[in-house]
Amino acid sequence: MQRLLLVLLLTFFLPCGAGAEGGRSVELRIVVADDAAPLAYRDESGQLTGFSVEIARALCSEMGASCVFDVVPQSDALPRLLQGKADIVATGVFETREQRGKLILADPYYRSFSLWLGPADASPGRQGVRVVVVGGSIQEDYARRQGWDVKAARSSGELTRMLVAGEAQAALVPMIAALQMQKSRAFRGLGLAPIVLRAPELSGDISFGISPYRPQLKNDINAALARIKRNGTYDRINSRFLPFRVS
Amino acid sequence: MPDPAVARRGFHAGRAFGLLAAIFVVAFGLAVLLLAEDQQRVIEVNGRLQERTFPEIIRYQRLARNLEQLRQEGERIFAVSSHASRQQSMFVVTLIASHPSVLEHPAAAELAREAEQFLGKVVGQSARDNQRPAAHYDEWRRIAGRLGVQVDDVSIEGINLAGNDLQQVSAVMNLARYKLMAVLLLVGLFLAVLAVLVRHHLIHPLQRIDHALSGLSAEKPAPVFNTSRLLEIQAVEEAIREHHDLLVQNEEIRRGLESLANKDGLTGLMNRRHFMHSAEMELQRSQRYRRPVTVAMADLDFFKKLNDTYGHAAGDSVLKAFAERVREALRQSDLVCRYGGEEFAFLFPEISTAETAKLAERLRAACADNDVPLSDGRRVKVTVSIGLADASECPIEVALRYADEALYEAKRQGRNRVVISGAGVVTNPIQENP
Repeated sequence: MQRLLLVLLLTFFLPCGAGAEGGRSVELRIVVADDAAPLAYRDESGQLTGFSVEIARALCSEMGASCVFDVVPQSDALPRLLQGKADIVATGVFETREQRGKLILADPYYRSFSLWLGPADASPGRQGVRVVVVGGSIQEDYARRQGWDVKAARSSGELTRMLVAGEAQAALVPMIAALQMQKSRAFRGLGLAPIVLRAPELSGDISFGISPYRPQLKNDINAALARIKRNGTYDRINSRFLPFRVS
Repeated sequence: MPDPAVARRGFHAGRAFGLLAAIFVVAFGLAVLLLAEDQQRVIEVNGRLQERTFPEIIRYQRLARNLEQLRQEGERIFAVSSHASRQQSMFVVTLIASHPSVLEHPAAAELAREAEQFLGKVVGQSARDNQRPAAHYDEWRRIAGRLGVQVDDVSIEGINLAGNDLQQVSAVMNLARYKLMAVLLLVGLFLAVLAVLVRHHLIHPLQRIDHALSGLSAEKPAPVFNTSRLLEIQAVEEAIREHHDLLVQNEEIRRGLESLANKDGLTGLMNRRHFMHSAEMELQRSQRYRRPVTVAMADLDFFKKLNDTYGHAAGDSVLKAFAERVREALRQSDLVCRYGGEEFAFLFPEISTAETAKLAERLRAACADNDVPLSDGRRVKVTVSIGLADASECPIEVALRYADEALYEAKRQGRNRVVISGAGVVTNPIQENP
């Protein structure tokens, strides 16, 4: 009888213990860029930070997981995820029509749109105006579809440098990248005027991408995201990196 | 004989109370379902509050925050002296006014667009004039005031979303409270009805049965019940009635057996054992209350000779005739038995020896004066000798021995007489031989 009782108790409690142990031992490999300020960059002390990075850290903390960040070029992020070399891509994934159904995306963590930054007299797509975009981005995809004269940069930092160097006269960038570019004196000196492009493929929800090998992460990440949006963590991070609410 | 169970009209207690319980379970179950429905609605509203309303409220708060940020950036455009700073603020204004969080709220989007256009015009003009745009500040204050009001409106809209849900929860909880009270009332009502039914159909009949059983006796009439509606109670009542009938039958049998055990088969008088027991009791009573009591022994004279002469049948007739005379002569309270053969014992309560002697003499005379007819038509005269003794101060055995000694004295003196122990012959009749 005592043996039976012991077996029952073990049956009842062991799964809980194992679950708790499993919860502690979860390690998430997260892919980020480090030249996409204010989303992901290195601060003065070389520490990786930014809106996306801190949101990812907050999610890991909510899920009780330990996170390891892998810094890769933005264009390499999705391929690494699809190859199973990463669990989450936190570079801010916008689901394109082609990607629909192929990627597992968490709920959006901010909403964005795209800006044309060009000379005041140059409307988007005008002949003779070369536009620079970040390679692999929806902006590049859009610009090429429009048949514009496109030049691809590896990152938003490089994109700014190319504009300042005169390699392109205009840029098609996401909202937050434009914010960061505005902080550069050299960029401001170009006197480029912003035009909001309303094309649906250039604005919408931005999410974390989830490895197709770990689809169960989606529910955990969504629940954690909902919690940090409710408990103020999200807004504190938002205020730390961005001048207005982007959710 | 008809089966009583078939003749009974009523219902089984198990079925009756089972039906009641089933009605209660159904009613209570329905009430619980109604309560569960309310609980489910509360859960649903709470879930909606958590999953949809709270995020919506937060969304409204963020919109309000963005509108306020837009207003602050506008203020900055008028406050700063650097054109670059104005451009930066204008850029943020453009981003806010174009952000989906603002665009999805029509009123806020329209106002933000108006503010953006106004501020864009101001920034452009200040760039051309290369001076601070103070001239348009009053107009900006009006737009900024409307932005402030819009911030308040958006905040209140968000809060009102929760208010609607909370009102629904409150309404459901109030309804649930009334239902709960109704359920409690239902339970109370059921318990009251159950108590009344149990009292009426179980407790009262059982009390009547208990009362009937405690007083059940062959000497008392059969108990009468107000027949219950419950078949089980009816069965018990019927069993009690049958039990009473059995008691009466048993009592009659017992009395018959007792009579057989206590009487002499030939004469119908008490037998010796019963007489000794009864006489002992009576003697104790008389002595306790110091009342006079007398015992007597009588013996038919020459009975053996009568037997030899006329046969035993004649002897039996004589014994029966003597017993009859004894019954005629003695009082109701006197005890008499056939002591053995032709010998008889007597006990006379509440009467002295002298008075008993008169009684005994009357018996003796009745015997002497009346022939006994035999079955063959002949008649014989039988006399009796009687010895008396006072028993008021001695045990029955001693008193009977004294009486027996007096009887012996009567025999010795010639029979057909009454002799009192210690007092000599009381009667002296003419000696007659049978």
